Amino acid sequence: MKKRPTVGEILQAKGVSRRGFLKYCATTASILALPPAMIPRIAEAIENARRPSVIWLSFQECTGCTESLTRSASPTVEGLIFDAISLDYHHTLQAAAGDQAEAARHAAMEENDGQYLVLVDGSIPLGNPGFSTIAGISNVDMLKETVAGAAAVVAIGSCAAFGGIPGADPNPTGAVSVMDLVTDKPVINVPGCPPIPMVMTAVLTQFLTFGQLPELDKHGRPLAFYGQTIHDRCYRRPFYEQGKFAETFDDEGARAGWCLYKLGCKGPTTYNACATAKWNSGTSFPIEAGHPCLGCSEPNFWDGGGFYEPLSTGRFDSGAKLAGAAGIGVALGVAAAAAGRSKQAKFTKEG
Amino acid sequence: MTTPQETTAPAFPFHGNVRPLLNEVMHALDRLLETDVPTTIDLASLPFGPGELEHLEATLGAGELSAKLDALGTSRIRETAFPGVWWLEHRNAHDEVVGRYLEITRTPEILSSQDADIVAGRARLGDQFE
Amino acid sequence: MDLLAFAKGPALQVAAYIFVAGTIWRIVGIVLLKEKVDYSEPRKSAGLMAALKVIYTRSFTASPFKRATLYPKMLAYVQHLGLFAVIFLFVPHIMFFKGFLGFDWPGLPNNIIYLLGVASVVASIALLVRRLTSPVLKLISNFDDYFSWFVTVLPLVTGLMIPVRMGLRYEDILAVHVLSVVLLMIWFPFGKLGHAFLVFVTRGTTGMVFERRGAKT
Repeated sequence: MKKRPTVGEILQAKGVSRRGFLKYCATTASILALPPAMIPRIAEAIENARRPSVIWLSFQECTGCTESLTRSASPTVEGLIFDAISLDYHHTLQAAAGDQAEAARHAAMEENDGQYLVLVDGSIPLGNPGFSTIAGISNVDMLKETVAGAAAVVAIGSCAAFGGIPGADPNPTGAVSVMDLVTDKPVINVPGCPPIPMVMTAVLTQFLTFGQLPELDKHGRPLAFYGQTIHDRCYRRPFYEQGKFAETFDDEGARAGWCLYKLGCKGPTTYNACATAKWNSGTSFPIEAGHPCLGCSEPNFWDGGGFYEPLSTGRFDSGAKLAGAAGIGVALGVAAAAAGRSKQAKFTKEG
Repeated sequence: MTTPQETTAPAFPFHGNVRPLLNEVMHALDRLLETDVPTTIDLASLPFGPGELEHLEATLGAGELSAKLDALGTSRIRETAFPGVWWLEHRNAHDEVVGRYLEITRTPEILSSQDADIVAGRARLGDQFE
Repeated sequence: MDLLAFAKGPALQVAAYIFVAGTIWRIVGIVLLKEKVDYSEPRKSAGLMAALKVIYTRSFTASPFKRATLYPKMLAYVQHLGLFAVIFLFVPHIMFFKGFLGFDWPGLPNNIIYLLGVASVVASIALLVRRLTSPVLKLISNFDDYFSWFVTVLPLVTGLMIPVRMGLRYEDILAVHVLSVVLLMIWFPFGKLGHAFLVFVTRGTTGMVFERRGAKT
């Protein structure tokens, strides 16, 4: 197996000074949501980390996740990460296609057997393999084949993590998530529709820096970014507690930046880093822009109640069934009254 | 960039983040004076509301010393109007902000010349003589 | 389906059916009973006003008993009013009602609701202690009393755990809270909790009977 260069060697070859490297490590600590005190450890770890091979598979997806990730062009810190890793296969980004591209994938798999990372975006259709194929290979086959020699699998975006929009009712393609199919390798879910770019690169950086996968929550999401709800870090939280809510879009409350609970915000049940990391390099996030959180990093968020229905709305059936229940109540009441009346008549007669 | 509408937005952006942060800075300064231990606060991890970060920057102001670092993009290292409190802002080659810190210290580490760089520079200087 | 989706969906639906059917069953079953014929001469005509009058006046203790019942009376009012405020004046709950009523109303700030909720829980505990220590109450209390107390206090406690969290996940505590309300809704029509709607029937009936007989009400 070819000895891969360390990241330290790569950066040195690029002419990055030690100061520049320290800056890189500081921003990496920020990305990994680690305290600044960890920077020396990160510096040591990055210097000695070997460049891992990464294979990216795109299945039933809208390409939003790849778009989100590539918004930051190199040589930004995120871009450096992609220089530091060896992205050996990405059929949206790569120029090659067809047999040669597939040959490249197989070469990377063989060369790095047991050590490469597989990144997946998009759900996998099981209904009919023909729904989504690459170079004539069905998604499910390509996934099984590629994952066989992987060190770990990262499911990027809500489609890969939970089934996403293809998996939403009525799920016409029989779409399933990566973790439904991969049970013998560690799977990390990085959900979001799309995920925050920084979160995606942070998971890779974590693997790069420490050679291990991050601590995960019950849905397989890295705790560092999915450990807190939007509600718990939302800057509009004081308004929620004070009872100041926007009633409609663009009313006085909305313009004053009040809480969006009444407009359907799913912040309280959504775990993601939007409220702190924000989007577009920390510019803003949906709530700050005036739109309630959709809950896009949660399983089945498409079917989890209307986007503009408050979180506390019950999911009731039609009124017809309730009227039926009322009817039953009346019937039972009449029956009870009849029984009562006959008892009353008996007492009156006796008494 | 998000700009609240001038007519209806509150004049003083208050989402409760600036005061506790300044309090933390005060404690960090006390710690620095008593024990010589520096503190770094990562501003990226805090849920600032619109306008709060600008308010914090304006409150801390600018001091006597300011430095510009050109490595993997520009970084600005500036002592605020409160000596010992440094504002560090890292940008990438596309001028996007990738890191923002408050360092409460005598000298931020990144200002010092690094051993590895000194060694490399010494070698280069030696080459020039040959 | 995760616990929260189950609680807000099928569980709440079944509870709604039982609540509606049960409440109507009980009211209809009582209202349709034969009225006991009063053979005495009516002193006054007794109509709706008489019923409403007594519904109102029974909210206040008659003077001879005021002093003796002051403590439990205060506790009961704190418990009931706190519960009313929490259920009907907390914005997320108002949104829940809006979901099937179609309209909403102004609420109180959350922190005030939390305070009133805590007051209601404290009053409830004090009332339970009283029920357990008073020789008379201990004798006459049965399962209905204690279970009704439990299903009323549980939603308050689980609801207060949502802001307090105690390291648990929001969606888990919310699911438990909704399920505790489901339990309350299912028990509501059948035990002594039914007093919530029956108290008006009983007081109103008493009022009409007494008024007809010319008693002071």
